This record gives sequence, C-alpha cells and structure tokens, in this order.
Amino acid sequence: MGKNFHDMEMRFVYGETLNELIEQNPAVMCLEADLSKASGTNPTVSGKHPANFLNIGVAEANMIGIAAGLASEGKVPFCASFTCFATRRVYDQVTISVAYANTNVKIVGTAPGITAGPNGGTHMCFQDLAIMRAMPNMHVYSPCDALDLRSIMRYMAASRQPTYMQLIRSKVPKVFDSEYAFNPEKAVVLREGSDVTLVSTGYMTQFAVAVMDELKSAGVSVELLHYPSVKPFDVATLVASAQKTRGVVTVENQNIIGGLGGAVCEVLSEQCPTRVKRLGVPNQFGEVASEQYLFDKHGFGPKHIADACQHMAAERKTK
Amino acid sequence: MDKHTQPAFDRAEFDRMADEWRYIMTDMICRAGSGHLGGAFSLVEVVMTLYYRIMRTDPANPRWDERDRLVLSKGHAAPVLYLALAYQGFFPMAWLKTLNADGTKLPSHADARFVPGIDMTTGSLGQGLSCACGAAHAARLDGKKHNVFCIIGDGESNEGQNWEAAMFAGHHKLDNLVAITDYNKLQIDDFTDRLLTLEPLCDKWRAFGWEVFEMDGHDWDAIYKTINAAIAARGKPAMIIAHTIKAKGCCLVENKPESHNIKVPDQATYDKFLNSLTAKATLPY
Repeated sequence: MGKNFHDMEMRFVYGETLNELIEQNPAVMCLEADLSKASGTNPTVSGKHPANFLNIGVAEANMIGIAAGLASEGKVPFCASFTCFATRRVYDQVTISVAYANTNVKIVGTAPGITAGPNGGTHMCFQDLAIMRAMPNMHVYSPCDALDLRSIMRYMAASRQPTYMQLIRSKVPKVFDSEYAFNPEKAVVLREGSDVTLVSTGYMTQFAVAVMDELKSAGVSVELLHYPSVKPFDVATLVASAQKTRGVVTVENQNIIGGLGGAVCEVLSEQCPTRVKRLGVPNQFGEVASEQYLFDKHGFGPKHIADACQHMAAERKTK
Repeated sequence: MDKHTQPAFDRAEFDRMADEWRYIMTDMICRAGSGHLGGAFSLVEVVMTLYYRIMRTDPANPRWDERDRLVLSKGHAAPVLYLALAYQGFFPMAWLKTLNADGTKLPSHADARFVPGIDMTTGSLGQGLSCACGAAHAARLDGKKHNVFCIIGDGESNEGQNWEAAMFAGHHKLDNLVAITDYNKLQIDDFTDRLLTLEPLCDKWRAFGWEVFEMDGHDWDAIYKTINAAIAARGKPAMIIAHTIKAKGCCLVENKPESHNIKVPDQATYDKFLNSLTAKATLPY
C-alpha cells in the first residue's frame, strides 16, 4: 500500500519526492543553504543520497551560482531556502545566472507568505510570485497540497525550464485525490459554477475549497479555479469562466500587487474586461502574528473569501 | 592524431598575434562606438595562452564533454574571448565586426546562449566564480578529468559572492578549479588601492584555503609555467594573481581609469585610438 502523502508535512513530501526523482535520474541534485532541516531534505535526502546533496552554507547567492554551474554540466539542481532568501535576496543571481543564461535550475521558496509565522516580518515574503513572474524565461508554480506538489516536482525534474516553486512546509488538507499530469499551461477547475469565479493558488486553495459548501448553502454558485502555475498563466480557462460569471475574486498568500491577482487583472483587462476583487496582503510588510490575526488584519481568510464571493455575486445579479 | 594538440610555441608569432588581437579589438570596439577596452587588453596574453597552450577544446564540437571549461566572470572582457574563439575556429571571423550591432551574436558581455565555445553567460559581476565552482563540483561527481578555469576581475573582487565561492571551493578542495585574477589595479572609477584596497590579496585567498600563485600576466613564459603549476596543485583550488596593465598597448588610455569603457563618437576618435596602438595589423574581416 502506498504512502499517504496527505498525512505528511509538505516539506517531507518534498524530501521524499526528491529522493524518488534522484533514483529515477541521478543528475537530480538537492542544494541547501543551511536550512535543510526546514526544507525537509535533511536527513531524508542527505542520508539517502549524500552525493546528490550539497549544503552550500548560509550563502544563497553562491548557491544559485553553483546551481547554474551544475546545470551547465547537465545536473538538475533543486535549490531550497526560505522564500525571502530564495527570491528577493538573490534576485540578480537568479535573473542572470539562471533565467537570462537559461540554465536548468529549480528554485524552491519554502514557508511562503504568512506561513513564515514566528519568523515574522523580516522573513515574510509577500512579493516572490510577483518578482519571479516578472522575469523572462522563469516558470512560477505554487502547489496547494501534497499530491499537487508531487505532480509539479515530477514535471520540474523532467522539464528543461528555469523554475521557481513555492513550498508550504506544514501539513495541509487534501485538495487532490490523486496525482495528475501537471501542465503549466492548464489551470485546474476544482468546482464549476456560474455566479462568480474564484481564483486561487498555493496555500490559499485549501481555504477556497473550505468555503465552497457554505457558499453553496448561501445560494452562490462559485467556479473555483486553482492555478498551480502562475506563469505560464492559463488565459483560456480564466477568460471562459469570466465570460460566464462576469465577476472574479482572487485570493493569494501574497501582496495583491503583481502576483496572482495581478496576473488575473492583466489578462482580463486586455481580453475580457471584468470586475475583479483581489484578496491578499494590501501592500504591507508582514509581522510576527498568528495566521488568524493576519487573515483578519489583511482580509484574506476563509471568512473574507466567502464574503467577497457573496458580495461579487450579489453585485453581478443587480446589474 | 590528437585533434587537440596545439602548435608549438613561437614567441615571435605570439607577439605578432597579440598585437593583432589588440588592433582588431580596438576596431571592433570603435565600430560599436564604445566598449570595454581596458580589461580585455589586460587579458590578451593570458587568454591566448589558455586557448593556444593550455586548454583542451574542440572548435568543431564546442560542447565536447572532455573539454576544459572557462568562465569569464568579468564578462565585459568578452571581446578578448571572442578573439580567441574566432582565431581557434569556433565561429567565423566575420562575426567579430558585429560586436554590439543590432541582432548580433557577440554582445558586450560573454553569452553562452549565442556564442559557440562560451561555457557560461556572465556580465553581472561576482557570479562567475560560483558557477565555476558548480561546474567543477559536477566534474568531480562524474569522475571527469577536465579542468575548470575562471577569470575574475580585481574590481569584481569587491563583490561578496566571490568570497562565498572562495569559501566553498576551499572547503570542498576543488583542485580541478583554477581561477585567475586579472589584477590590473584599476576599476571603473579609480585605482583599486584608492577605492577599496584588495591587499593583502594573496593572503586573503590563502586564508580561504587556496593555493596561490602570482605571475606577470603579460610574460608568455611566466603565464604558461604558472598556469601549469596551478593545474598540478592537488588538494586545493588554485588562484593565480595575474599582474597586468589595463589597456596595455593602447597608449592613449593605458593604465588609466578611462580605459574601462572607451567612447568613440566619431572618426577622429577612432583614428586616435587605432594610431595609439603599439602595432598595426590587418583586419581579418
């Protein structure tokens, strides 16, 4: 009987999946910058595949450069660190040595957004989806659960694409019943509906799923789109849904500037002008606080998602 | 016959070729209207020795797996690398006159995406030594015998990432890695000693666990001997501090900060630069 990945912390799913990928392709490598226990690769990967494991030390810039060098020799390095260090700290290294040079490097940002929790404001990176999305050549993914993560990682190991992926470290509720053939060009329609389109990615998808029953009971028919790939962005699925519902709500564990909500607005304003409400962090830094506190402060928890969908549906019906 | 055997060293021929490279680079940069002359000129003898006497490469098969690698971390010195690659036959000589032209394959900074024979795209200072560490580590993992060379600048050595890479290479004893610092004592704004001193530079690299060598970066014998000694060093990565003269051979700007990126707005300036060279040559395009 197979392992139940839904019962595991996501970081350990990451470690175990890396082991499988290494066993399938010995060129796959695990790079860390002194956060290997936080990423779930030590001892999972370091113990089982020590030759494929490389701990660079607290030197993220060097990690990205070394990964580019490894990739130039045919290796497939997965480089993990907290989102803040994996993206904004090494933005130029990733831009030039990875994206511009088009080296096959996979960058993994752990503990995205408010899941940085007790590490607080210095570590809460709310802009990684936005800044990585603005980089040519870079793919940007954000899995929502363990099986989504595994599907995406398999794709990453097989593709030749510079890629950034967010990695939630904790256990998260199940969204997918089985692994699927992840396609970065395709969003996943988790629920079909006709009154309002709800678009989510990564950590927030579980909360979007969680309010579906409540919204149904309230008589709101919601179409829920999960975007495991924020870039490339599946334009067709969004436009088709928006044409049907005429109202869109987005929710992300990020600043509302430039990330998923930004992508949705860019697409709709050009291709299907539609009313959009973006939920997330409204252009502020993070802080040490509980998830509930941060959801309430910034207005993007389950309650706010449900309210925004109801409000959007009501607004559309009165027009 | 080993296709990678290089012709025997002929001092007069190498001297002639060095003059020629400097003349051609000046023409390339002047045609482009501006360019990084100083730091390309300081590397002529080092790069020529690498490609003609040290590195195993195959111009007909630029990605040949057993080739020696070179990361030109100071990517703005790309013109000298383009000369070496064109002369070795990696691409047609005619490409040289397209430096920085619209749609060119030869941009101002070394670009592995378009140029056969370039192993790593560089241009943002401080990143190349890390990439070279990755390439050297990969070679070791795969039991490959080639060497990885990396050329960094002295001004570039201000970038902290070099020292992260230095620590990594020392810790991992990457003895298939040979780095060369083009120590021409000048950076964009001023002399390195006045802006941000690197001294004691040899001691710094030794302290990071490297075998350190010094050489006159314009002396054919010293370059050949020192690089071979650095390759032979075991148990440690090697750093060669190459004492060089920025813009060597272009008396208009030799050893001057303004040699870093010369501006050539008109024919008169173009003529001035070409006339200020030690020797004339015929353009191959």
